[in-house]
Amino acid sequence: MTEQVPVTVLTGYLGAGKTTLLNRILTEQHGRRYAVIINEFGELGVDNDLVVDADEEVFEMNNGCICCTVRGDLIRIIGGLMKRREKFDGIIVETTGLADPAPVAQTFFADEEVKRAARLDSVVTVVDARNLPARLADSREAEEQIAFADLIILNKMDLVSEEEAAAVEARIRAINPWAELIRTTRSAVPIEVVLDRQAFNLEKILERMPEFLSGEDRHSHDSDILSCSFQAEGPLDPERFNAWITQVLAVKGQDLLRSKGILAYRGEDRVFAFQAVHMLADGDFIRPWREGEPRVSRLVFIGRDLNRPWLRRGFLACQADAPAADFEREMARWSGAA
Amino acid sequence: MSGTDAPRYLLDLRGRQADFGAWVVGIAFCRETGAPGFGLGDGTLRIGLDGAVLQVHRGAVLSVAADCARGFLTGGDDGKLCTSSDGLTTVLADYGRRWVEHVAAHPEGLRVAASGRMLHLLDGQGVALKSLPHPSTVAGVAIDAKGKRVAASHYGGASIWFAAAREDKPRRLEWKGSHGAILFSPDGTHVITAMQENALHGWRLSDGQHMRMTGYPAKTKSMCFTAKGRWLATSGADGIVLWPFFGGGPMGKAPTEIAGGDGVLCTQVACHPEHEVVAAGFADGLVLVAEIASGKILPVAPPGRGGVSALAWHPQGHLLAFGTEEGFAAVVDFSPR
Repeated sequence: MTEQVPVTVLTGYLGAGKTTLLNRILTEQHGRRYAVIINEFGELGVDNDLVVDADEEVFEMNNGCICCTVRGDLIRIIGGLMKRREKFDGIIVETTGLADPAPVAQTFFADEEVKRAARLDSVVTVVDARNLPARLADSREAEEQIAFADLIILNKMDLVSEEEAAAVEARIRAINPWAELIRTTRSAVPIEVVLDRQAFNLEKILERMPEFLSGEDRHSHDSDILSCSFQAEGPLDPERFNAWITQVLAVKGQDLLRSKGILAYRGEDRVFAFQAVHMLADGDFIRPWREGEPRVSRLVFIGRDLNRPWLRRGFLACQADAPAADFEREMARWSGAA
Repeated sequence: MSGTDAPRYLLDLRGRQADFGAWVVGIAFCRETGAPGFGLGDGTLRIGLDGAVLQVHRGAVLSVAADCARGFLTGGDDGKLCTSSDGLTTVLADYGRRWVEHVAAHPEGLRVAASGRMLHLLDGQGVALKSLPHPSTVAGVAIDAKGKRVAASHYGGASIWFAAAREDKPRRLEWKGSHGAILFSPDGTHVITAMQENALHGWRLSDGQHMRMTGYPAKTKSMCFTAKGRWLATSGADGIVLWPFFGGGPMGKAPTEIAGGDGVLCTQVACHPEHEVVAAGFADGLVLVAEIASGKILPVAPPGRGGVSALAWHPQGHLLAFGTEEGFAAVVDFSPR
């Protein structure tokens, strides 16, 4: 099988500096080839020999879940790109400023052929340091774009004072404590920081944020999105975890924007990585556990209206040595909520 | 596998082959010369296995059809619609940055090309007749056997247009979801689409009766009716899935599955133009021909040279051509000796 092409999703509000970043990436002399999928209402011309116009056609999957939306145009375009002889080092998908990032991300979980050809590398969100507070106040999409991001580029730093910048960062951190945050002016970010980051390689994210796993919730008073993280010291029973997370995603998927985990399964010498966008989940063994490495499982959720005690108790009940009665009680809790 | 009874493949006995080095997107046989045309992911059209090489599109060829009369109609990711014959390529239309993902042609002198939400109709001389809008991107096109009606699939269903209508008002066939490949039954009474959700949907045009054909482990990308329309053969499972369009079917009838059991996905099907025989290509490169009534299998090509991405019979049924994602292509001769 040929290697999956990494896909970078570029989001951000109108005027945040997305197109400037895109043109910077494409004109830098890096010797790599990128296919760029842009939306038809793009702000500026993009200079690249392989630009594909997309219509952002979002449709619901017929699986009874209203949050399972995917981008039909992306499914077709990626299928078409794979037929070309010359291959790409990556695909960049630009979304409109008003776009909800979920359908783009979900496309890479929901369609088998897309999964075979491409993998979501990272969601990069460009924000305007001066205007972000106003955007967050008047737009749900601006908040979701931050919640979804693996990398947040805090742009136009020359227009704000250090105090303002710190305040904006605090707002961002309250919504999404995982993402890497880079301050810049005029979208001047080195290409290697943006592309092929393997940001969906969860390990790095979780390593990057050790303090985040201390168990504190992040919750902004101005925002209804919060994140919570959990750690289980004992190995997990894979069947229990599957049953539980399936139930949680089925019931709560609409409110869960992103879920990620690094899991230690009982009797398994490999690290299992789990991730989900709303209710669409994916997971695989990514590498062996290293010698002397503590085999703990970590799980993080970003979403709205999350019941932290329920999530924590349920996750802990998935440990192989937790009493069966605890696990059954936690499962029943979610069935009752359905 | 061991033993001395390894299957003998027809390719070795009666086939010719080539390595084109690029994804074989589609194959069609010229209506006049009978030559096979292979449309490739490098933008070329190859006439026969060792014939002319025409650079018809800048990026990839996305769709190939036998043109109305002589030659081949192609659409590409350079936004162009082209016709090629006798070593010459003519650009019929340039639709800009939108890809021309689907083309079809009818000997009565009708050409159709889908580009974004528009379905463009041209006549046999290349004159643009009309451009028909759809609610979302057209994901499949089909012309009925008489060349009178055109069907286009899209999100939420399909639209049927009369090519010669003075006033263009489509008949909308509605069914929630994203519809891809589309075809008319040979007698023009049914329209079938393949959906994003590993299922087919059908409409009986006389009364709008819906038909749901489900149970596929993967998306159906290729489907065709047998010559007299009794069976609908489809890809998307680990064998050829056949739906009966007789005796009241397919409603309430289970499909017949043949040539399955290896756990490898069938990616392409092509029904013989005369007999109830189906050729099938698989994700591992295996190509075979199966007789529906007996379920008997004739191995055509062994696995190993890329997933089968295109498969077509010569209109007289004596040649079978196929191609793979890795650029392997072959023509196998079935004529009696």
